[in-house]
Amino acid sequence: MKTKPLSQDPGSKRYAYRVNKEENRKELKHVKIDENSVAQKNGKLDLPKKKFYRQRAHSNPFSDHQLDYPASPDEMDWSKLYPHFYDQETGKMAKQVTIADIGCGFGGLMVDLSPEFPDELILGMEIRVQVTNYVEDRIIALRSNHAKEEGYQNINVLRGNAMKFLPNFFHKGQLSKMFFCFPDPHFKQRKHKARIITNTLLSEYAYVLKEGGVVYTITDVEDLHHWMVKHLEEHPLFERLSESWENEDKCVSIMRNATEEGKKVERKRGDKFVACFRRVQTPEII
Amino acid sequence: MSSYPLQCSVSNSDGTLLFLVVKSTILAFKQQKGEFEQAGRWTDTLFETDSQQDGVKKLKSNKGEAVKKADSPAVGSAFSLQIRNLTLTPDESKLIACADSDKSVLVFEIDYNNPECLKLVKRQPFPKRPNAIAIGDDGDTIAIADKFGDVHQMSISGQVLASGEESQPILGHVSMLTDIIMAKDSAGHRFVITSDRDEHIKISHYPQCFIVDKWLFGHKQFISSMCCPSWNSSLLFSAGGDDSIYAWDWKKGTQLSQFNYSGLIKPYLTNAHLAAERFQNDEKDVIEYAVSKVVSSSNAHCVAFFVEATKCIVLLDVCPETGSLTLMEIIEFPSNVVSLSEANDEFIVTLDTHSSGNGRLVEFVTREADTGLFKVNIPKCQTFEKALAAALKNENQVGSNATDLYPLYNTISLKKHGEHYS
Repeated sequence: MKTKPLSQDPGSKRYAYRVNKEENRKELKHVKIDENSVAQKNGKLDLPKKKFYRQRAHSNPFSDHQLDYPASPDEMDWSKLYPHFYDQETGKMAKQVTIADIGCGFGGLMVDLSPEFPDELILGMEIRVQVTNYVEDRIIALRSNHAKEEGYQNINVLRGNAMKFLPNFFHKGQLSKMFFCFPDPHFKQRKHKARIITNTLLSEYAYVLKEGGVVYTITDVEDLHHWMVKHLEEHPLFERLSESWENEDKCVSIMRNATEEGKKVERKRGDKFVACFRRVQTPEII
Repeated sequence: MSSYPLQCSVSNSDGTLLFLVVKSTILAFKQQKGEFEQAGRWTDTLFETDSQQDGVKKLKSNKGEAVKKADSPAVGSAFSLQIRNLTLTPDESKLIACADSDKSVLVFEIDYNNPECLKLVKRQPFPKRPNAIAIGDDGDTIAIADKFGDVHQMSISGQVLASGEESQPILGHVSMLTDIIMAKDSAGHRFVITSDRDEHIKISHYPQCFIVDKWLFGHKQFISSMCCPSWNSSLLFSAGGDDSIYAWDWKKGTQLSQFNYSGLIKPYLTNAHLAAERFQNDEKDVIEYAVSKVVSSSNAHCVAFFVEATKCIVLLDVCPETGSLTLMEIIEFPSNVVSLSEANDEFIVTLDTHSSGNGRLVEFVTREADTGLFKVNIPKCQTFEKALAAALKNENQVGSNATDLYPLYNTISLKKHGEHYS
């Protein structure tokens, strides 16, 4: 990937911070962090500070970004993202990614899901470069600080455009849960195709979700909530889960409380709208 | 001064009726006793009234009205081709075309006995420009793949939808769609195959388009054209910005073979293939080229393709069992190839004579029965050229302005350069 000046002012604090973190990231991103390697260094890694990763909140999903993505799911090297689940002897992954957080933002949901689903691999996808860097640094720090109990080995993040390239990463029926937390509302009607939930994209989500898999949505924008519910309800491969199901599901409560956006809405005492849908059985082909 | 090239052609299966597009006009020719005569002409008058605004990119306001973008000359595909995607219905009773002027699909009834054989019976505008169309096996359903990535369907015989009632897309990509095929497997299940500007070929069930069957992965660049041969329903050929033609078994989802054409096309590349200034290296020698069109022969086990802005078409032999591709012949022409179509083992090639200054506008490449090889059918070309010259007598001549010809060479503009960093 081409590197660009991270800041206009090389003398700035942000610039220095980003350069330092970038070196750290290069070194640690794909390394198997375990107790021994941490013990040698004998230091606790600081969690990254959000103020150094500021970026505008929106990204155009139709642009030709410089993205890294595999040509097909078979060509994806997951061992670099989840080294603890890679079997050196067989050269294979012990687990596949089954939970995806689409537009994971600063990664709060994944961090809380990680201990709840220790045997499942969780992947966050985020389109904004700096935000992805923040999540990477956060995971590096968490892995390092929890090396003793091998914590946070089952989460990682990818910079990517899920609306375009989701099928490049996942096989048919690979996922059991997909999260869409506080997506970009794209208020203007002309921008509605840029929304992450559309009837045509739902067919692609239904492809990567296994039958019985769940789509989780949460937003503080009521209009967007109604939009997502309408499109999911209209789609023949999804059915809405009841409120009582929502109240009992642990992911729903984590989603309500864990994400950065969720916390922000909490502070502002705003509303949060949740809707969950099950991927139903594929009907007989006519 | 030479005539504006014909940018698109289609012929009926026995070759007696030929339709061609020059700018915003469709010309029909009938072949009788070896002679061609003009059998019809239709001009998109909407385009004429619109042409003053040509070259100015338009934006849509939130109320849906067209707003001219101030002082910004249009780039790339904003210069429109006017009429594209000529397609005959399977029973050859109707001609379908797409008009860029109002982003509509046109349906013509073909009346073989009337001296004006083209009768416009339906004009259905769409919200986004149709880029490719395919006709379903019922002969009445058309699937329309648009520039915005959505596929709409429309019934040929149905009523025209008013501008308020928009049809819902049946499937979509988050990428510009470049081609669409409606296909059927041996069990009678129907599918829609769509290709896009990212490297994707998606296969969806039809009419249950919400069920994605599979993706065909392997292209590294945009896809511009696909075709399924009639002699093997599981084969699919695709091409675009990659320097190979791909052969697939689309039912199994496997790639059968690739034919790399980068070596054989080298002698045909010119300065026109140098990349744009902003994508150049220090030596200024970056070349970019792409396949514009790949078509299969109706009976012969062969596919033909051409690379944009070159003076040849390439014919490949296909092994019908394994799908492997081998070079059969390269057929050269005096000018750049603009379009390629096929009917009953005859390839119709239209040329940009502006690039050479003279020569024929249309060449027919027919298969010789004894050798099985394809040759330019010179007597047919000459007879046709006479009829064409008479028909084009009053057509606008192309000026010296190169931008006039730009819309003929815009396949390469689909190439992605990853310009947006963050």
